[in-house]
Amino acid sequence: MIKLHGVSKFYSVAAPVLRDINLTIKPGEFVSVVGQSGAGKTTLVKLLIAEERPTKGQIAIGDWDITGIQSSIVPYLRRQIGVIFQDFKLLPQKTVAENVAFALEVAGERSGRINQVVPQVLNIVGLGNKMNRYPNQLSGGEQQRVVIARSLVHRPKVIIADEPTGNLDSINTGEIIEILKKINEFGTTILLVTHNREVVNQLRRRVVTLANGEIINDDAEGKYVL
Amino acid sequence: MPSFFRVIRFAFQDIVRNLGLSAMTVFILLLMLLSINMLWSMDVMTKEAVRLVKEQINISFYLAPAIADKSVLEIKSYLATFPEITQIDLLTREQVLQSFKTRHQFSAEVLGALSELGGNPFGPTLVVRTKEPGDYRKIIQAVSVPEYDPLIEGKSFEGHEEALDRIQTITNRIERVGLGLSLLFALISFMIIFNTIRVAIFTQRAEISIKRLVGANNWFIRGPYLLESFVFTIASVGLAMLVMYFATRYLDRYVSVVFPNGFSLTNYYSSHMLYLFGIQAIAVLLLTVFSSSLAMRRQLKV
Repeated sequence: MIKLHGVSKFYSVAAPVLRDINLTIKPGEFVSVVGQSGAGKTTLVKLLIAEERPTKGQIAIGDWDITGIQSSIVPYLRRQIGVIFQDFKLLPQKTVAENVAFALEVAGERSGRINQVVPQVLNIVGLGNKMNRYPNQLSGGEQQRVVIARSLVHRPKVIIADEPTGNLDSINTGEIIEILKKINEFGTTILLVTHNREVVNQLRRRVVTLANGEIINDDAEGKYVL
Repeated sequence: MPSFFRVIRFAFQDIVRNLGLSAMTVFILLLMLLSINMLWSMDVMTKEAVRLVKEQINISFYLAPAIADKSVLEIKSYLATFPEITQIDLLTREQVLQSFKTRHQFSAEVLGALSELGGNPFGPTLVVRTKEPGDYRKIIQAVSVPEYDPLIEGKSFEGHEEALDRIQTITNRIERVGLGLSLLFALISFMIIFNTIRVAIFTQRAEISIKRLVGANNWFIRGPYLLESFVFTIASVGLAMLVMYFATRYLDRYVSVVFPNGFSLTNYYSSHMLYLFGIQAIAVLLLTVFSSSLAMRRQLKV
Protein backbone atom coordinates (compact mmCIF):
# COMPACT_ATOMS: atom_id res chain seq x y z
CA MET A 1 0.00 0.00 0.00
CA ILE A 2 2.69 2.47 1.10
CA LYS A 3 6.30 1.92 0.13
CA LEU A 4 9.31 4.07 0.94
CA HIS A 5 12.60 2.94 -0.54
CA GLY A 6 15.84 4.61 0.55
CA VAL A 7 14.06 7.88 1.27
CA SER A 8 16.10 10.79 2.63
CA LYS A 9 15.14 14.40 3.15
CA PHE A 10 17.68 17.16 3.57
CA TYR A 11 16.88 20.81 4.17
CA SER A 12 20.61 21.38 4.49
CA VAL A 13 23.40 18.92 3.81
CA ALA A 14 24.65 19.14 7.38
CA ALA A 15 21.31 18.21 8.98
CA PRO A 16 19.26 15.45 7.31
CA VAL A 17 15.70 15.23 8.64
CA LEU A 18 15.12 11.71 7.30
CA ARG A 19 17.89 9.30 6.33
CA ASP A 20 17.57 6.18 4.19
CA ILE A 21 14.03 5.24 5.23
CA ASN A 22 12.85 1.84 3.99
CA LEU A 23 9.29 1.14 5.01
CA THR A 24 6.51 -1.00 3.57
CA ILE A 25 2.98 -0.82 4.90
CA LYS A 26 0.57 -3.50 3.68
CA PRO A 27 -3.11 -2.84 2.86
CA GLY A 28 -5.30 -2.94 5.97
CA GLU A 29 -2.42 -2.48 8.42
CA PHE A 30 -2.60 -0.19 11.44
CA VAL A 31 0.89 1.22 11.90
CA SER A 32 2.01 3.64 14.57
CA VAL A 33 5.03 5.78 13.84
CA VAL A 34 6.55 7.01 17.08
CA GLY A 35 9.49 9.15 17.98
CA GLN A 36 10.51 12.19 19.94
CA SER A 37 10.08 15.71 18.66
CA GLY A 38 12.44 16.30 15.77
CA ALA A 39 12.71 12.60 14.94
CA GLY A 40 11.24 13.23 11.47
CA LYS A 41 7.65 12.01 11.98
CA THR A 42 5.94 15.10 10.56
CA THR A 43 8.37 15.25 7.64
CA LEU A 44 7.43 11.66 6.85
CA VAL A 45 3.74 12.69 6.76
CA LYS A 46 4.58 15.69 4.56
CA LEU A 47 6.36 13.39 2.11
CA LEU A 48 3.39 11.03 2.00
CA ILE A 49 0.90 13.82 1.22
CA ALA A 50 3.35 15.42 -1.24
CA GLU A 51 3.66 18.61 0.75
CA GLU A 52 7.41 17.99 0.48
CA ARG A 53 9.47 15.99 -2.04
CA PRO A 54 12.19 13.55 -0.96
CA THR A 55 15.80 14.50 -1.60
CA LYS A 56 16.63 10.85 -2.34
CA GLY A 57 14.73 7.59 -2.68
CA GLN A 58 11.29 6.61 -3.91
CA ILE A 59 7.79 6.80 -2.45
CA ALA A 60 4.79 4.88 -3.76
CA ILE A 61 1.20 4.79 -2.59
CA GLY A 62 -0.51 1.79 -4.09
CA ASP A 63 0.83 1.59 -7.64
CA TRP A 64 1.38 5.30 -7.77
CA ASP A 65 4.98 6.54 -7.63
CA ILE A 66 4.65 9.97 -6.01
CA THR A 67 8.39 10.67 -5.69
CA GLY A 68 8.45 13.52 -8.19
CA ILE A 69 4.73 14.16 -8.38
CA GLN A 70 3.80 17.38 -10.22
CA SER A 71 2.04 20.14 -8.25
CA SER A 72 -1.00 19.98 -10.52
CA ILE A 73 -1.43 16.26 -9.74
CA VAL A 74 -1.10 16.63 -5.95
CA PRO A 75 -4.84 17.37 -5.39
CA TYR A 76 -5.70 14.01 -7.01
CA LEU A 77 -3.31 12.22 -4.64
CA ARG A 78 -4.83 13.96 -1.63
CA ARG A 79 -8.30 12.87 -2.68
CA GLN A 80 -7.08 9.26 -2.44
CA ILE A 81 -5.83 9.54 1.12
CA GLY A 82 -7.45 10.88 4.27
CA VAL A 83 -5.36 13.11 6.48
CA ILE A 84 -6.03 13.94 10.14
CA PHE A 85 -4.03 16.73 11.75
CA GLN A 86 -3.32 17.62 15.35
CA ASP A 87 -4.59 21.18 14.84
CA PHE A 88 -7.75 19.92 13.06
CA LYS A 89 -7.44 22.21 10.02
CA LEU A 90 -11.17 22.81 9.66
CA LEU A 91 -12.51 25.66 7.56
CA PRO A 92 -13.80 28.11 10.20
CA GLN A 93 -16.36 29.78 7.91
CA LYS A 94 -18.02 26.49 6.98
CA THR A 95 -20.38 24.40 9.07
CA VAL A 96 -19.58 20.85 10.16
CA ALA A 97 -21.55 19.40 7.24
CA GLU A 98 -19.98 21.84 4.76
CA ASN A 99 -16.48 20.97 5.98
CA VAL A 100 -17.12 17.28 5.39
CA ALA A 101 -18.91 17.92 2.09
CA PHE A 102 -16.00 20.06 0.87
CA ALA A 103 -13.76 16.99 0.50
CA LEU A 104 -16.34 15.50 -1.87
CA GLU A 105 -17.13 18.75 -3.66
CA VAL A 106 -13.50 19.31 -4.66
CA ALA A 107 -13.45 15.77 -6.05
CA GLY A 108 -16.44 16.61 -8.27
CA GLU A 109 -18.91 14.32 -6.50
CA ARG A 110 -22.60 14.79 -7.40
CA SER A 111 -24.65 16.96 -5.00
CA GLY A 112 -27.25 14.23 -4.50
CA ARG A 113 -24.61 11.78 -3.35
CA ILE A 114 -22.98 14.39 -1.10
CA ASN A 115 -26.31 15.12 0.60
CA GLN A 116 -26.73 11.40 1.18
CA VAL A 117 -23.22 10.49 2.36
CA VAL A 118 -22.32 13.44 4.61
CA PRO A 119 -25.05 12.85 7.26
CA GLN A 120 -24.19 9.13 7.26
CA VAL A 121 -20.52 9.76 7.95
CA LEU A 122 -21.31 12.37 10.60
CA ASN A 123 -23.59 9.87 12.31
CA ILE A 124 -20.75 7.33 12.35
CA VAL A 125 -18.53 9.79 14.28
CA GLY A 126 -21.44 10.78 16.53
CA LEU A 127 -22.01 14.29 15.21
CA GLY A 128 -25.27 13.78 13.31
CA ASN A 129 -26.99 16.29 15.57
CA LYS A 130 -24.33 19.00 15.15
CA MET A 131 -24.14 19.21 11.37
CA ASN A 132 -25.01 22.89 11.17
CA ARG A 133 -22.63 24.09 13.83
CA TYR A 134 -19.42 25.93 13.06
CA PRO A 135 -16.05 24.51 14.22
CA ASN A 136 -15.67 27.15 16.94
CA GLN A 137 -18.94 25.93 18.46
CA LEU A 138 -17.49 22.44 19.05
CA SER A 139 -15.12 20.96 21.63
CA GLY A 140 -11.65 19.75 20.63
CA GLY A 141 -12.77 16.13 20.56
CA GLU A 142 -15.78 16.98 18.40
CA GLN A 143 -13.62 18.98 16.00
CA GLN A 144 -11.26 16.04 15.64
CA ARG A 145 -14.24 13.80 14.89
CA VAL A 146 -15.29 16.21 12.13
CA VAL A 147 -11.78 15.90 10.71
CA ILE A 148 -12.07 12.10 10.83
CA ALA A 149 -15.44 12.33 9.06
CA ARG A 150 -13.89 14.55 6.41
CA SER A 151 -10.95 12.20 5.91
CA LEU A 152 -13.30 9.25 5.73
CA VAL A 153 -16.05 10.61 3.51
CA HIS A 154 -14.41 9.84 0.17
CA ARG A 155 -13.62 6.28 1.29
CA PRO A 156 -9.83 6.49 1.13
CA LYS A 157 -7.67 3.37 1.14
CA VAL A 158 -5.23 5.07 3.53
CA ILE A 159 -5.71 7.42 6.45
CA ILE A 160 -2.69 9.29 7.74
CA ALA A 161 -3.23 10.67 11.24
CA ASP A 162 -0.56 13.12 12.37
CA GLU A 163 -0.76 13.44 16.17
CA PRO A 164 -4.57 13.29 16.07
CA THR A 165 -4.83 13.20 19.87
CA GLY A 166 -2.16 15.80 20.59
CA ASN A 167 -4.69 18.47 21.57
CA LEU A 168 -7.19 16.19 23.32
CA ASP A 169 -7.80 14.98 26.87
CA SER A 170 -7.60 11.27 27.73
CA ILE A 171 -11.35 10.62 27.26
CA ASN A 172 -11.45 12.19 23.82
CA THR A 173 -8.15 10.51 22.94
CA GLY A 174 -9.69 7.12 23.72
CA GLU A 175 -12.76 7.90 21.59
CA ILE A 176 -10.68 9.01 18.60
CA ILE A 177 -8.47 5.91 18.76
CA GLU A 178 -11.57 3.70 18.97
CA ILE A 179 -12.98 5.36 15.83
CA LEU A 180 -9.66 4.82 14.02
CA LYS A 181 -9.64 1.16 15.05
CA LYS A 182 -13.17 0.72 13.70
CA ILE A 183 -12.20 2.35 10.41
CA ASN A 184 -9.22 -0.02 10.23
CA GLU A 185 -11.49 -3.01 10.84
CA PHE A 186 -13.33 -2.10 7.63
CA GLY A 187 -10.04 -2.51 5.72
CA THR A 188 -8.63 1.01 5.61
CA THR A 189 -4.88 1.29 6.15
CA ILE A 190 -4.08 3.58 9.08
CA LEU A 191 -0.77 5.33 9.62
CA LEU A 192 -0.84 6.89 13.07
CA VAL A 193 1.94 9.31 13.88
CA THR A 194 2.11 9.96 17.60
CA HIS A 195 4.30 10.34 20.64
CA ASN A 196 1.53 9.23 23.02
CA ARG A 197 3.03 6.22 24.83
CA GLU A 198 -0.32 5.12 26.34
CA VAL A 199 -2.11 5.05 23.01
CA VAL A 200 0.63 3.04 21.30
CA ASN A 201 0.95 0.52 24.11
CA GLN A 202 -2.81 -0.08 24.25
CA LEU A 203 -3.12 -0.57 20.50
CA ARG A 204 -0.77 -3.57 20.33
CA ARG A 205 -0.24 -3.13 16.62
CA ARG A 206 2.82 -2.58 14.47
CA VAL A 207 5.09 0.20 15.77
CA VAL A 208 7.80 1.92 13.75
CA THR A 209 10.20 3.96 15.88
CA LEU A 210 12.06 6.93 14.43
CA ALA A 211 15.08 8.61 16.00
CA ASN A 212 17.24 11.29 14.43
CA GLY A 213 15.62 10.69 11.06
CA GLU A 214 16.24 6.94 10.97
CA ILE A 215 14.08 3.88 11.67
CA ILE A 216 15.58 2.30 14.76
CA ASN A 217 12.86 -0.23 15.47
CA ASP A 218 9.99 -1.90 13.59
CA ASP A 219 7.91 -4.37 15.64
CA ALA A 220 4.84 -6.22 14.33
CA GLU A 221 3.16 -5.94 17.71
CA GLY A 222 5.31 -3.38 19.41
CA LYS A 223 5.37 -0.93 22.23
CA TYR A 224 6.58 2.59 22.71
CA VAL A 225 10.24 1.88 23.37
CA LEU A 226 11.79 5.35 23.70
CA MET B 1 -20.09 22.32 -14.71
CA PRO B 2 -21.11 21.41 -11.11
CA SER B 3 -17.72 22.66 -9.94
CA PHE B 4 -18.44 26.03 -11.60
CA PHE B 5 -21.68 26.42 -9.66
CA ARG B 6 -19.90 25.29 -6.49
CA VAL B 7 -17.27 27.96 -7.01
CA ILE B 8 -20.03 30.57 -7.36
CA ARG B 9 -21.70 29.30 -4.18
CA PHE B 10 -18.38 29.33 -2.28
CA ALA B 11 -17.69 32.89 -3.45
CA PHE B 12 -21.01 34.24 -2.20
CA GLN B 13 -20.73 32.21 0.99
CA ASP B 14 -17.31 33.75 1.62
CA ILE B 15 -18.60 37.26 0.98
CA VAL B 16 -21.53 36.86 3.37
CA ARG B 17 -19.65 34.98 6.08
CA ASN B 18 -16.73 37.43 5.96
CA LEU B 19 -19.03 40.42 5.71
CA GLY B 20 -16.73 42.75 7.67
CA LEU B 21 -13.74 42.00 5.46
CA SER B 22 -15.87 42.21 2.29
CA ALA B 23 -17.33 45.58 3.35
CA MET B 24 -13.88 46.92 4.21
CA THR B 25 -12.49 45.84 0.83
CA VAL B 26 -15.39 47.44 -1.07
CA PHE B 27 -15.07 50.60 1.04
CA ILE B 28 -11.37 51.02 0.22
CA LEU B 29 -12.01 50.36 -3.48
CA LEU B 30 -14.81 52.94 -3.33
CA LEU B 31 -12.55 55.54 -1.70
CA MET B 32 -9.95 55.03 -4.40
CA LEU B 33 -12.53 55.27 -7.18
CA LEU B 34 -13.94 58.47 -5.68
CA SER B 35 -10.44 59.95 -5.49
CA ILE B 36 -9.84 59.06 -9.12
CA ASN B 37 -13.20 60.51 -10.15
CA MET B 38 -12.50 63.68 -8.20
CA LEU B 39 -9.19 64.08 -9.98
CA TRP B 40 -10.88 63.27 -13.27
CA SER B 41 -13.50 65.97 -12.62
CA MET B 42 -10.76 68.49 -11.81
CA ASP B 43 -9.00 67.53 -15.03
CA VAL B 44 -12.20 67.87 -17.06
CA MET B 45 -12.94 71.28 -15.56
CA THR B 46 -9.36 72.45 -16.12
CA LYS B 47 -9.51 71.34 -19.75
CA GLU B 48 -12.87 73.07 -20.16
CA ALA B 49 -11.45 76.27 -18.66
CA VAL B 50 -8.42 76.08 -20.95
CA ARG B 51 -10.70 75.43 -23.91
CA LEU B 52 -12.78 78.47 -23.00
CA VAL B 53 -9.68 80.64 -22.82
CA LYS B 54 -8.45 79.31 -26.16
CA GLU B 55 -11.86 79.89 -27.66
CA GLN B 56 -11.63 83.56 -26.77
CA ILE B 57 -8.53 83.94 -28.92
CA ASN B 58 -8.74 84.70 -32.65
CA ILE B 59 -6.89 86.74 -35.22
CA SER B 60 -8.46 89.09 -37.70
CA PHE B 61 -7.13 89.91 -41.15
CA TYR B 62 -8.31 93.39 -42.13
CA LEU B 63 -8.53 93.41 -45.90
CA ALA B 64 -8.20 96.47 -48.16
CA PRO B 65 -11.53 98.32 -48.84
CA ALA B 66 -11.02 98.04 -52.57
CA ILE B 67 -10.33 94.30 -52.57
CA ALA B 68 -12.24 92.26 -55.12
CA ASP B 69 -14.63 89.57 -53.88
CA LYS B 70 -12.64 87.03 -55.87
CA SER B 71 -9.45 87.88 -53.96
CA VAL B 72 -11.28 87.67 -50.62
CA LEU B 73 -12.52 84.18 -51.46
CA GLU B 74 -9.07 83.20 -52.66
CA ILE B 75 -7.46 84.20 -49.34
CA LYS B 76 -10.23 82.43 -47.47
CA SER B 77 -9.74 79.26 -49.51
CA TYR B 78 -6.00 79.45 -48.97
CA LEU B 79 -6.46 79.72 -45.20
CA ALA B 80 -8.91 76.82 -45.23
CA THR B 81 -6.12 74.51 -46.43
CA PHE B 82 -4.36 74.73 -43.05
CA PRO B 83 -5.39 71.84 -40.76
CA GLU B 84 -4.56 73.98 -37.70
CA ILE B 85 -7.48 76.30 -38.48
CA THR B 86 -10.79 75.30 -36.95
CA GLN B 87 -12.97 78.19 -38.07
CA ILE B 88 -12.89 81.06 -40.61
CA ASP B 89 -15.58 83.76 -40.51
CA LEU B 90 -15.86 86.32 -43.27
CA LEU B 91 -17.30 89.68 -42.26
CA THR B 92 -18.43 91.70 -45.31
CA ARG B 93 -17.73 95.41 -45.56
CA GLU B 94 -21.30 96.15 -44.48
CA GLN B 95 -21.05 93.88 -41.46
CA VAL B 96 -17.77 95.51 -40.43
CA LEU B 97 -19.33 98.95 -40.76
CA GLN B 98 -22.39 97.91 -38.78
CA SER B 99 -20.20 96.38 -36.10
CA PHE B 100 -18.13 99.55 -35.88
CA LYS B 101 -21.27 101.68 -35.55
CA THR B 102 -22.68 99.41 -32.85
CA ARG B 103 -19.41 99.50 -30.95
CA HIS B 104 -19.27 103.30 -31.03
CA GLN B 105 -22.98 104.05 -30.83
CA PHE B 106 -22.48 106.28 -27.80
CA SER B 107 -19.53 108.15 -29.25
CA ALA B 108 -20.93 110.99 -31.35
CA GLU B 109 -17.42 112.19 -32.32
CA VAL B 110 -16.44 108.86 -33.83
CA LEU B 111 -19.75 108.52 -35.67
CA GLY B 112 -19.42 112.13 -36.90
CA ALA B 113 -15.91 111.45 -38.24
CA LEU B 114 -17.19 108.35 -39.98
CA SER B 115 -19.98 110.23 -41.75
CA GLU B 116 -17.49 112.94 -42.83
CA LEU B 117 -15.46 110.29 -44.61
CA GLY B 118 -18.58 109.44 -46.60
CA GLY B 119 -19.40 105.87 -47.74
CA ASN B 120 -17.89 102.77 -46.16
CA PRO B 121 -14.16 103.13 -45.41
CA PHE B 122 -13.83 99.54 -44.17
CA GLY B 123 -12.75 96.50 -46.06
CA PRO B 124 -13.95 92.96 -45.33
CA THR B 125 -12.41 91.09 -42.36
CA LEU B 126 -11.44 87.44 -42.02
CA VAL B 127 -11.68 86.15 -38.44
CA VAL B 128 -9.63 83.00 -37.92
CA ARG B 129 -9.54 80.54 -35.00
CA THR B 130 -6.95 77.78 -34.59
CA LYS B 131 -6.70 74.65 -32.46
CA GLU B 132 -3.81 75.98 -30.38
CA PRO B 133 -2.72 79.56 -29.70
CA GLY B 134 0.76 78.57 -30.93
CA ASP B 135 -0.66 77.96 -34.42
CA TYR B 136 -1.37 81.66 -35.03
CA ARG B 137 2.25 82.50 -35.70
CA LYS B 138 2.35 79.88 -38.46
CA ILE B 139 -0.83 81.26 -40.06
CA ILE B 140 0.48 84.82 -39.92
CA GLN B 141 3.72 83.73 -41.58
CA ALA B 142 1.78 81.84 -44.24
CA VAL B 143 -0.17 84.90 -45.36
CA SER B 144 2.82 87.25 -45.09
CA VAL B 145 3.70 86.82 -48.75
CA PRO B 146 4.26 89.61 -51.27
CA GLU B 147 1.16 88.80 -53.33
CA TYR B 148 -1.12 89.30 -50.29
CA ASP B 149 0.66 92.39 -48.90
CA PRO B 150 -1.41 94.92 -50.87
CA LEU B 151 -4.64 93.02 -50.04
CA ILE B 152 -4.19 92.71 -46.25
CA GLU B 153 -4.10 96.08 -44.45
CA GLY B 154 -3.57 94.80 -40.94
CA LYS B 155 -3.62 91.90 -38.56
CA SER B 156 -4.98 91.87 -35.01
CA PHE B 157 -2.16 89.54 -33.97
CA GLU B 158 0.33 92.39 -33.83
CA GLY B 159 0.85 93.46 -30.20
CA HIS B 160 -0.86 90.31 -28.84
CA GLU B 161 2.00 87.98 -29.58
CA GLU B 162 3.36 88.02 -26.04
CA ALA B 163 -0.08 87.46 -24.47
CA LEU B 164 -0.74 84.52 -26.80
CA ASP B 165 2.64 82.97 -26.00
CA ARG B 166 1.95 83.31 -22.30
CA ILE B 167 -1.48 81.67 -22.63
CA GLN B 168 0.11 78.84 -24.58
CA THR B 169 2.76 78.34 -21.87
CA ILE B 170 0.16 78.41 -19.07
CA THR B 171 -2.22 75.97 -20.75
CA ASN B 172 0.66 73.59 -21.56
CA ARG B 173 1.81 73.72 -17.97
CA ILE B 174 -1.70 73.10 -16.61
CA GLU B 175 -2.09 70.08 -18.90
CA ARG B 176 1.30 68.71 -17.84
CA VAL B 177 0.52 69.16 -14.12
CA GLY B 178 -2.87 67.44 -14.66
CA LEU B 179 -1.21 64.49 -16.38
CA GLY B 180 1.42 64.22 -13.64
CA LEU B 181 -1.22 64.31 -10.89
CA SER B 182 -3.29 61.68 -12.70
CA LEU B 183 -0.28 59.37 -13.01
CA LEU B 184 0.60 59.89 -9.35
CA PHE B 185 -2.95 59.13 -8.24
CA ALA B 186 -3.11 56.10 -10.50
CA LEU B 187 0.09 54.79 -8.89
CA ILE B 188 -1.22 55.44 -5.34
CA SER B 189 -4.53 53.76 -6.22
CA PHE B 190 -2.68 50.78 -7.68
CA MET B 191 -0.61 50.37 -4.52
CA ILE B 192 -3.61 50.71 -2.17
CA ILE B 193 -5.86 48.32 -4.11
CA PHE B 194 -3.00 45.87 -4.53
CA ASN B 195 -2.29 45.83 -0.79
CA THR B 196 -5.97 45.74 0.22
CA ILE B 197 -6.51 42.58 -1.80
CA ARG B 198 -3.26 41.08 -0.53
CA VAL B 199 -4.32 41.70 3.08
CA ALA B 200 -7.76 40.19 2.37
CA ILE B 201 -6.13 37.06 0.92
CA PHE B 202 -3.48 36.95 3.65
CA THR B 203 -6.15 36.79 6.39
CA GLN B 204 -7.48 33.68 4.67
CA ARG B 205 -4.13 31.97 4.11
CA ALA B 206 -4.92 29.22 6.65
CA GLU B 207 -8.15 28.41 4.82
CA ILE B 208 -6.36 28.30 1.48
CA SER B 209 -3.78 25.82 2.80
CA ILE B 210 -6.54 23.66 4.34
CA LYS B 211 -8.41 23.55 1.02
CA ARG B 212 -5.19 22.53 -0.67
CA LEU B 213 -4.54 19.76 1.88
CA VAL B 214 -8.07 18.39 1.43
CA GLY B 215 -7.43 17.97 -2.27
CA ALA B 216 -8.85 21.12 -3.84
CA ASN B 217 -7.20 22.02 -7.12
CA ASN B 218 -6.07 25.57 -7.94
CA TRP B 219 -9.28 26.40 -9.79
CA PHE B 220 -11.38 25.41 -6.77
CA ILE B 221 -9.32 27.66 -4.52
CA ARG B 222 -8.72 30.56 -6.89
CA GLY B 223 -12.19 30.56 -8.45
CA PRO B 224 -14.11 31.96 -5.47
CA TYR B 225 -11.51 34.69 -4.90
CA LEU B 226 -11.60 35.73 -8.56
CA LEU B 227 -15.37 35.83 -8.42
CA GLU B 228 -15.24 37.81 -5.19
CA SER B 229 -12.91 40.27 -6.93
CA PHE B 230 -15.54 40.62 -9.65
CA VAL B 231 -18.32 41.20 -7.10
CA PHE B 232 -16.20 43.72 -5.16
CA THR B 233 -15.45 45.55 -8.41
CA ILE B 234 -19.10 45.74 -9.46
CA ALA B 235 -20.16 46.83 -5.97
CA SER B 236 -17.48 49.52 -5.65
CA VAL B 237 -17.96 50.89 -9.17
CA GLY B 238 -21.76 50.90 -8.68
CA LEU B 239 -21.43 52.76 -5.39
CA ALA B 240 -18.93 55.18 -6.95
CA MET B 241 -21.44 55.91 -9.75
CA LEU B 242 -24.16 56.59 -7.18
CA VAL B 243 -21.98 58.87 -5.08
CA MET B 244 -20.70 60.71 -8.16
CA TYR B 245 -24.27 61.23 -9.38
CA PHE B 246 -25.26 63.07 -6.21
CA ALA B 247 -21.88 64.81 -5.87
CA THR B 248 -21.96 66.23 -9.42
CA ARG B 249 -25.55 67.38 -8.98
CA TYR B 250 -24.53 69.21 -5.84
CA LEU B 251 -21.36 70.67 -7.38
CA ASP B 252 -23.07 71.83 -10.59
CA ARG B 253 -24.58 74.88 -8.90
CA TYR B 254 -21.03 76.12 -8.19
CA VAL B 255 -19.62 74.92 -11.51
CA SER B 256 -22.26 76.90 -13.42
CA VAL B 257 -20.97 80.11 -11.83
CA VAL B 258 -17.46 79.46 -13.13
CA PHE B 259 -18.55 78.24 -16.56
CA PRO B 260 -21.16 80.56 -18.06
CA ASN B 261 -21.20 78.48 -21.26
CA GLY B 262 -23.48 75.93 -19.57
CA PHE B 263 -20.84 73.29 -18.84
CA SER B 264 -22.15 70.82 -16.26
CA LEU B 265 -20.39 67.94 -14.53
CA THR B 266 -23.66 65.96 -14.36
CA ASN B 267 -24.04 66.22 -18.12
CA TYR B 268 -20.41 65.29 -18.63
CA TYR B 269 -20.72 62.19 -16.44
CA SER B 270 -24.05 61.23 -18.01
CA SER B 271 -22.68 61.39 -21.53
CA HIS B 272 -19.39 59.62 -20.63
CA MET B 273 -20.82 57.19 -18.07
CA LEU B 274 -20.18 53.98 -20.00
CA TYR B 275 -16.67 55.01 -21.00
CA LEU B 276 -15.64 56.37 -17.59
CA PHE B 277 -17.02 53.66 -15.34
CA GLY B 278 -16.32 50.94 -17.89
CA ILE B 279 -12.63 51.85 -17.88
CA GLN B 280 -12.62 52.08 -14.08
CA ALA B 281 -14.38 48.71 -13.72
CA ILE B 282 -11.93 47.01 -16.10
CA ALA B 283 -8.93 48.62 -14.37
CA VAL B 284 -10.13 47.68 -10.85
CA LEU B 285 -11.04 44.17 -11.99
CA LEU B 286 -7.65 43.58 -13.61
CA LEU B 287 -5.92 45.01 -10.57
CA THR B 288 -7.88 42.92 -8.06
CA VAL B 289 -7.50 39.75 -10.10
CA PHE B 290 -3.78 40.40 -10.54
CA SER B 291 -3.32 41.19 -6.82
CA SER B 292 -5.29 38.18 -5.62
CA SER B 293 -3.50 35.83 -8.03
CA LEU B 294 -0.14 37.12 -6.86
CA ALA B 295 -1.12 36.95 -3.18
CA MET B 296 -2.46 33.42 -3.55
CA ARG B 297 0.53 32.07 -5.43
CA ARG B 298 2.48 31.60 -2.21
CA GLN B 299 -0.39 29.98 -0.34
CA LEU B 300 -1.05 27.54 -3.18
CA LYS B 301 2.41 25.99 -2.85
CA VAL B 302 1.30 23.93 0.22
